[in-house]
Amino acid sequence: MSDATTPQVTDAPSTDAASTDAPSTSSATPSPFTMVTGDAAAMVCEGDVCYIPGVGE
Amino acid sequence: MWGGIRRWIHPFSYIVTSPIKIDIWSDIACPWCYIGKRHLEGGLAALGDDAPEVEIEYHSFELAPDTPVDFEGSEVDFLAKHKGLPESRVQQMLGHVAGVAAKAGLAYDYDVLQHTKTLKAHELLHFAKEHGLQLELSERLFRAYFTEGRHVGRIDELVELAAEVGLDADAAREALESERYSAAVQADIAQAGTYGIQGVPFFVFEGKYGVSGAQPVEVFSQVLTQVAGEHDGAVA
Repeated sequence: MSDATTPQVTDAPSTDAASTDAPSTSSATPSPFTMVTGDAAAMVCEGDVCYIPGVGE
Repeated sequence: MWGGIRRWIHPFSYIVTSPIKIDIWSDIACPWCYIGKRHLEGGLAALGDDAPEVEIEYHSFELAPDTPVDFEGSEVDFLAKHKGLPESRVQQMLGHVAGVAAKAGLAYDYDVLQHTKTLKAHELLHFAKEHGLQLELSERLFRAYFTEGRHVGRIDELVELAAEVGLDADAAREALESERYSAAVQADIAQAGTYGIQGVPFFVFEGKYGVSGAQPVEVFSQVLTQVAGEHDGAVA
């Protein structure tokens, strides 16, 4: 198994690392969950666009 | 998949554990939500006999509330007009998604996909939950939207899909026309906001661990193993 898919836990929401090109996360509410980082390239959808949190388009 | 399981701890006694709760915020129109669903299922299957019992509950997350129920045009048209992206860029994006979906065993067909508002689909998922068929309906709606080109924004079509998974058609129609589950949909969306969930899919295991995005199968296996270990420890 590659390092990229090894779950890691963090107290911070993974989307906090979004770049300026990704949908804004400035108003993000702190997550009450222990976030599992996992694969940083896992895609999420927000609005009409899907993106990799923390990576500019 | 549902209900408790028996774990033998002694030849003459056993304990009964409750299933691991997995809450998923998702939208039928979210391509990575369907892929994430398959990856989660793959993560469970990969554990074989060690796979824990799970209880999955889907929660509403309407990605684009401003989407019209009836949109004349392709998915490419919609994204190009709404996001102002070049068509070539949109084609490239959708091609990438379809490629990942194919690896997960899903045959996305953006040529026939009918972009629509998913509010009614969310209401129907709440109706299905009340009747114990939410997982069946979520799978049916994802397949209808991404692979069959069905229109999941219209009540008539939703009622047909509901009946296919065993829900009462007349009751489903009444639930949708009366908007009986509208408040439940909005409550899910509000809860997502409270939790700081901005994108989907978003998975919560046992109300403790958050997993964002369509993570690989291996990640879900590892999270499930960890949560199951803690779960058993708490029970013992």
